[in-house]
Amino acid sequence: MQERYDAIVIGGGHNGLVCAAYLARAGLRVVVLERRDVLGGAAVTEEIVPGFRFSVASYVVSLLRPEIVRDLELPRHGLAILPLDGTFTPLEGDHLWRLNDHGRTVRELRRWSLTDAEAYEEYGILMAQMARFIKPILSAVPGDQGRIRPAEWVSLAPLARRFAGLPRRQRDTFIQLMTMSAADFLDQWFETDPLKATMAASGIIGTFQGVRSPGTAYVLLHHYMGEIDGAFRAWGIPRGGTGGVSLAIASAARAQGAEIRTEAPVAAIDVRGGRAVGVTLRSGETIEADAVLSSADPRVTFLDLLEPGVLDGQFAADVRRYRFRGSSGKVNLALDGLPEFTCLPGRGEHLRGAISFSPSVDYMERAYDDAKYGRFSRRPYIDAIIPTLVDPAMAPPGKHVMSCFVQYAPYHLADGGAWDDAHRQAFRDTVVDTLAERAPNIRDLIVGEQVLSPLDIEQRIGLSEGNIFQGELSLEQLFFNRPVPGWARYRTPVHGLWMCGSAAHPGGGLMGAPGRIAALEHLRSRSSR
Amino acid sequence: MSYDAIVAGGGHNGLVCAALLARAGRRVLVVERRERTGGILDGVVSTVGRLRPALVAELELERHGLELARPPIRMLALREGGAPVAFWADPGRTAEGLAAVSGADATAYPRFDAHVRVLARFLGELAEITPPRLDAGALGDWQAGLRLARAYRRLDSRSARELTRALPMAAADFVGEWFATDAVRAALAARGSLFTAMGPWSAGTTAVLLADSAGNDGGAAGQTAFATSGPAALAAAIESAATAAGATIRTRAEVARVLVRGGRVHGVALASGEEIEAPVVACGVDPKTVLTRWLDPEEAGPRLRWRAGNIRTPGATAVVDLRLSGPPAFSGVDDPQLLAGRIVVAPGIDHVERAFDCWKYGGLSERPYLEATISDGSMHVLAQWVPHDADPDAVGDLVVAELERHAPGIGSSVADRRVLTPALIERDFGLSGGHVYHAEPGLDQFFAWRPVLGLARYRLAVPGLYLCGSGAHPGGGVTGGPGQNAAREILAD
Repeated sequence: MQERYDAIVIGGGHNGLVCAAYLARAGLRVVVLERRDVLGGAAVTEEIVPGFRFSVASYVVSLLRPEIVRDLELPRHGLAILPLDGTFTPLEGDHLWRLNDHGRTVRELRRWSLTDAEAYEEYGILMAQMARFIKPILSAVPGDQGRIRPAEWVSLAPLARRFAGLPRRQRDTFIQLMTMSAADFLDQWFETDPLKATMAASGIIGTFQGVRSPGTAYVLLHHYMGEIDGAFRAWGIPRGGTGGVSLAIASAARAQGAEIRTEAPVAAIDVRGGRAVGVTLRSGETIEADAVLSSADPRVTFLDLLEPGVLDGQFAADVRRYRFRGSSGKVNLALDGLPEFTCLPGRGEHLRGAISFSPSVDYMERAYDDAKYGRFSRRPYIDAIIPTLVDPAMAPPGKHVMSCFVQYAPYHLADGGAWDDAHRQAFRDTVVDTLAERAPNIRDLIVGEQVLSPLDIEQRIGLSEGNIFQGELSLEQLFFNRPVPGWARYRTPVHGLWMCGSAAHPGGGLMGAPGRIAALEHLRSRSSR
Repeated sequence: MSYDAIVAGGGHNGLVCAALLARAGRRVLVVERRERTGGILDGVVSTVGRLRPALVAELELERHGLELARPPIRMLALREGGAPVAFWADPGRTAEGLAAVSGADATAYPRFDAHVRVLARFLGELAEITPPRLDAGALGDWQAGLRLARAYRRLDSRSARELTRALPMAAADFVGEWFATDAVRAALAARGSLFTAMGPWSAGTTAVLLADSAGNDGGAAGQTAFATSGPAALAAAIESAATAAGATIRTRAEVARVLVRGGRVHGVALASGEEIEAPVVACGVDPKTVLTRWLDPEEAGPRLRWRAGNIRTPGATAVVDLRLSGPPAFSGVDDPQLLAGRIVVAPGIDHVERAFDCWKYGGLSERPYLEATISDGSMHVLAQWVPHDADPDAVGDLVVAELERHAPGIGSSVADRRVLTPALIERDFGLSGGHVYHAEPGLDQFFAWRPVLGLARYRLAVPGLYLCGSGAHPGGGVTGGPGQNAAREILAD
């Protein structure tokens, strides 16, 4: 069957699907090609243990762009976000528990520090202001900073103007957020160690950086961005797991006429005369199209799927130096009941939000130190949630699933070590030991499990080096340097080949922005042809 | 006698500022707490390779007795279990030596050196301008913007992209993209950590590295220059230039407060109680001292005091001076010329990073990262990372033990030693936190937000009050840049 499409989207992760939906919505004939038998990429739900459904990789939705939800009418296609209330930090003989209810959180903080309780309010207001300021960047198309001509800088002009107009305090805070470490930034505000550690933790998720590494403060904002998206609740657990988001987008894409094929792994992007003209599947089937938009990461797209020699040496070298450095692993547990925390017994509300194993800033930093020298953290940071408490359908009645995001687990192990079964088992034991230290009954509850090392994430999901954001979200790999300096505008040196995954601006997270902007840029280039 | 301007703090930047103001006809008084001027030139640093050549010419420092010596060797990187690697002023010569370590690294070196020079040249131009205002009134500040744009335009488009990418990078990553050998990487990257509280894996250390090579023909190995009669001779020369132009220098005169009257600077009050009047006070000391101790809290206001109190000044460098009874014998060094530059003990990236790790948790690494120079039978060693309140003897012992690994027997030839921990640097030199650069040169205290946003244009809080020390752009190191830029702004006002 030889069909010709306007566009092929490689990869059926959430960005690929968003991209396809927008292209189809504009009337293009689009096909999405997904390697696996399930859609979603890293935003995928799978029944790993019979009766237990896991959000295998990505586990919460935080920044899904409201315009995408609106444009694609995702709620109509089944998207529902269930609230994830609060963050519970279990400690030795005590706990720190922050809730969405501001009053209760402030009362809790007073237990720790009066000045922190006071500062928390002011901090929250300032962060919300900053989030509002920064949000438009998530929709902006970066220019090429290598050229002086104004056209390359227009995307920054409104930002610069708005920056200049900010009250001095917010200008100051913006600079700090872009340059400081999460720990240094929070040190200015708070004194309670577990509070700083737990807040700082959101700055290092998915990166190969510690809470004291400069450049990690910015991600503190993400939490607040979720909150200001208004009527639509953007911070929480999607019904049916994160795969539920992907399926809703897929349904929207199909409704617009996009074709979606699973178990259709792409073997090569076909290039003729310097133009991408289609793809060849591993089955040998070829599919032709005017354009190919790849949501796979740059290493896969440019080094695996393109014939060597298609790219000029400099670009290929720049792709090769693009840093992935996966740093996290995942332990998904099927539980017979609920964990009981020694510091706060009972099955109360504290289990309904995020459970953060982040007792102190030094604890977090030491976890990073281990990874720096090539081993998984002996005492890892764990961000756990129990989705069944808000979405009981994920497990049989009375049973639960627990998702544990674990950092750090470096992809590259020291001394030539590899992520073999022994390493994976040791990693799993470390995680369970860490959980059991605060909730001793957990060992007896485990009836099934799935352990993902960064290598597993690479092999299963297809993310190079297991980096959940398709490349480090470090300062030098953001905005006009993402993924390759001079090529941040979703285009590539191969005509007709585009990037639409998390390796493009504004980067990773269950956001959908790269897929959307890539689609809009592509449509713009077609109409101007 | 009344003055047009008082310069508070007679370190090199204060003296530069005073000399330039005096040459412009202002009546200037320098007040210095210590018994000698020179600040960190009087015992903390031994090399002056970053001094702005244009400043040397403008102040005719050579006529005032300054004599600079630039050895052909810039840096000797000691290695464990291998011959040391020499980095010469001539990159070709460095490459020849590197060939014995790694052919690939030898090939990469001259290209890397050129790359560093291109990026550093931009930072050199950046260092000369007064950072632009970043607020809504900034349109009046088109000159700085224009100059910035011009400097940027001189970069080819690839270099411009690489610049934006390099500045926020970790030095370990920056060198890792060019070199394969750990020892070579570490030797080149460590300079981005010197005098900072950042290990080579910290984002932004590349900016420190590049700034160190800005405007001084530094290249990849960094410049190495000595004032022939010791670093204090540089201070003496600038002081001589200042007094020749009519400036008055008073030592043992400690400032206690900045006097403000009617919302304007009115002079300073000394610790002795004496008050000296002047409409301009330029501070060569660190900004935290000025804003939190010298300035009346009512004048500063709670918000500025809070911000100033948060200026990061994590001093983590110790100075160990060793008087040696005989010339040290380093393993694998047969030519004494090899020891004429900076001698660096940074044998691996992780090795250096681990020294930093210890410090993060308040400890002192058993294996510090060292940068040493030898002159007149003495060895001057900078050691990182050292906790603020470390025991000086423990630091001295550690440094000697580390040197002993590379120069067996050096310990027994130490006739005398002097150790300055960050606490002692703070006490003796009046630097907040003992930070030699006055404020951490992190990305968060850089350029238009050094020391804090809104005070980066040398003017501080109250009309007539200025910052002319390393806490201002372009920051620390013996460049004279902050003093020169501040003098320009003072004269413009």
